[in-house]
Amino acid sequence: MATALPTLRRNWLVTMRAYQWTYFVGTLATGILTVGLAYLAFHAIGGGRAGGGFAAAAGTADYLGYVTVGAAASMFSVRMVLWVAKAQITEQREGTLESQVLAPARRLPYLIGVGLQALTTTVVEVVVMLAFAIMIGVRLPAPDPVTLLAAFVAASVAVFGISVPLSAIMISVGEAHITQNTLFVAMGLLCGFTFPPGYLPDPLRWLGEALPITSALRALRAATLEHAPLSAAAPDLLLCLALGLAYLAVGLRLLGPAERIAIQRGGSA
Amino acid sequence: MRAALRVFAAEGLKQHRRIFGSKLVVFSMLLWPVLTLATTYYTVLPVTEAPGAADRWPLVAQPGRLLAFLAAGALAYTFFFSLVQSAWHFSWERVSGTLEAMFLTPASRMALVLANGSSALVQNAWLFGCFGIAAAVATGTLHLAHPGMLAVAALALLVPAVAWGAFLNSLLMFSRDSAFLYTLLDDPLWFIAGVRLPLFALPVWITAIGLAFPLTTSLVVLRGALLDGKDVGDLAGQFAFLAGLSAVLLGLTALLLRVGERHAQRTGSLQLF
Amino acid sequence: MIVTQELRKTFPGQRKLFRPAGPATDAVDGLSLSIPPGAVTGLLGLNGAGKTTTIKVLATLLRPTSGSVTVDGLDVVTHAREIRRRINLIAGGERMVYARLTGRENLWYFGQLYDVPRAVLNTRIDELLELVGLTDAAGTVVERYSRGMRQRLSIARGLINAPAYLLLDEPTLGLDAPIARDLRAVVANLARDGVGVLLTSHYLAEVEQLCGHVYVVDRGRLVAQGSPTALTAGTRLPHTVELTLAEHAPAVSAAVAALGAEFEVGVDAEERPTFLLRSPEDLAGELATAVVRAGGAIVRLEVNPPTLEDAILAMAGASPAVGAESGRAAVAAR
Repeated sequence: MATALPTLRRNWLVTMRAYQWTYFVGTLATGILTVGLAYLAFHAIGGGRAGGGFAAAAGTADYLGYVTVGAAASMFSVRMVLWVAKAQITEQREGTLESQVLAPARRLPYLIGVGLQALTTTVVEVVVMLAFAIMIGVRLPAPDPVTLLAAFVAASVAVFGISVPLSAIMISVGEAHITQNTLFVAMGLLCGFTFPPGYLPDPLRWLGEALPITSALRALRAATLEHAPLSAAAPDLLLCLALGLAYLAVGLRLLGPAERIAIQRGGSA
Repeated sequence: MRAALRVFAAEGLKQHRRIFGSKLVVFSMLLWPVLTLATTYYTVLPVTEAPGAADRWPLVAQPGRLLAFLAAGALAYTFFFSLVQSAWHFSWERVSGTLEAMFLTPASRMALVLANGSSALVQNAWLFGCFGIAAAVATGTLHLAHPGMLAVAALALLVPAVAWGAFLNSLLMFSRDSAFLYTLLDDPLWFIAGVRLPLFALPVWITAIGLAFPLTTSLVVLRGALLDGKDVGDLAGQFAFLAGLSAVLLGLTALLLRVGERHAQRTGSLQLF
Repeated sequence: MIVTQELRKTFPGQRKLFRPAGPATDAVDGLSLSIPPGAVTGLLGLNGAGKTTTIKVLATLLRPTSGSVTVDGLDVVTHAREIRRRINLIAGGERMVYARLTGRENLWYFGQLYDVPRAVLNTRIDELLELVGLTDAAGTVVERYSRGMRQRLSIARGLINAPAYLLLDEPTLGLDAPIARDLRAVVANLARDGVGVLLTSHYLAEVEQLCGHVYVVDRGRLVAQGSPTALTAGTRLPHTVELTLAEHAPAVSAAVAALGAEFEVGVDAEERPTFLLRSPEDLAGELATAVVRAGGAIVRLEVNPPTLEDAILAMAGASPAVGAESGRAAVAAR
């Protein structure tokens, strides 16, 4: 915590002073337009209904609720990954990575500090998006609070977990744009943000299961759309936590060598 | 004219060096659009399976045609968005100092922005263009009135795209926060231009705004000519509209370049907005 | 010939949202200069003198607020395009070239934009690469260039249209000493070949060496002009003569005092007597004669005439609003 809190405080100050509106508007627009697309398609093409295959694959007939929860989770994941995975490459670009590596502080508390601060801003941003969805007429049933909280924690661990190896990749190749966007586009297809992964061919479906966001999303939907008790969501929650922690462990192992490569390259990214 | 052609050659080389060598083009111009296309297809699939959906939109009766409809959208969007990206890069020239070096030369400013846009288009879009045509031929979804319509469709896509690119170049060249414009023209562009939905599904006011963007009408022509077997006569209205819109965009470009350079000469700042 | 008459450039105050515009600033205030072909003309400034603004007006990047600027009789406002063919600008620093292109490609790119005749372009690129010592690096992308190499390429870019007039804004800023020396030789040769050069530089020795005529501006106004020698003489700054004797000679002090110039007496590290003499004229000959006649044995004699730098420092000191201290700091901070 000795590292996490100062990092949290520093990032908080930076965020308040120079909030990156462009990024926010960008991700908010993606979320809102995804819900908007589903809404218009649902009414103009589906006539206010979705096909029977959807209910079978999704476990709910509520197409708009399904897409809205997915879009919120997508926005949450993208923003969190942008914060956490890009923290170190940003330090590298600003020339502070070396002083970071020199300091005796460990990586995990530093990244947790970044992550906790990111959570506070991201939650506010996601609420803005959900407010829009409700404004255009999407109705989310009252969720099960305990399951929702557990799913939220699991989802946070999941995005945090995949951000760490991603950070290692970014600093070792000295590139963020291609890496992050390829992940986002792949997650969009594989994790089931806007459609049930059951629609996908089997190999892609299994690839999606390897990402902890997929199971986090199932738990989030169980909590919000189905009012599921904790016990019902438990298998997904455990799977998500296990996968998230596995990614985290691998990521932490990779960070050391990645930092060495980054510094050898001379921080010229 | 000869001097303008030399500007085109120069910009062609510059864009080639900027774009072609980098891996980015494979990702941003092929992998990402294809994955996004698949995601879009699966996202709208549930509603197209709803009872009575085919009455509202006959195309959905055949999943292959739905996919082709969305693929045409992705193709045109990729073309137009590549110009947004290129304009964003162009705006960086102000920061890096090369824009001033450009303004020192006697080269026609209009030739510069047109050359920049068209060479970016060629460098960026050939990959997805080839892929799209190959996919359409392989899946048998191409439905042409006659082979010449392929050229007509290409023209209806490229000419407005170049006008759009020139306009964006002149706009972002003088803009303070080009990153914001870039964001504004990313997702909202596909939404209002009917890239992922048929225009009838959009509220009237969105369609009205969408008409100001050449992508909207280009897409109508592209889909009509390639997928629905329409000929020039069927699409005459859209052609006239596209020609008018392109002329308006080029006119605005000329105006912006004039006002922008005047402003820079008066205030010493290349930032107009 | 480039001629400016009563050139004035005022920048409008910055507009802010919902707030009145800030005050306008006069960067150049009634400047009249002429830059003849075949010579290097210097433009020196004290603080915030408006040198870069002046150069940008001449380069058509800025428009004069009032007054006129003509290049070979063509007005910069009405004939900007024609003028752009005849001039070029080289600014210090390594901007103005593309990192993703090679050195040769950069020159080709700008050659195309200047519409340099095809038959000439490739030969000229080779010559320019040779001139700035980048022949071996011609095929390397500029990303891999060092700062000095980028700057040399920038210089080659400024010559790609074989300009009749070349505007140099601190061209040697940050260059290594040998390269800066080569550049000075290039500039001198260009002037010999008939190019009209306008040079601004913080390196006053450079200006002194190259320029036949120098304009000194302060806050956009002309405060002095002339050849470096005339400018230096005009400020009536003292020549200094330092003289060291082998040993103490009692009659020498009186003999030196008889010359009527201000002087100081001291001793050097080896306890030998020294005399430091200051006077508007060079009194070295008179001093040596007087000392020898008084029985002194001279072991060292050093004469330092005033330099252009001293003259500019003196002008900065005399400039009422600038003040001696800040003026000195501005010139000394180079």
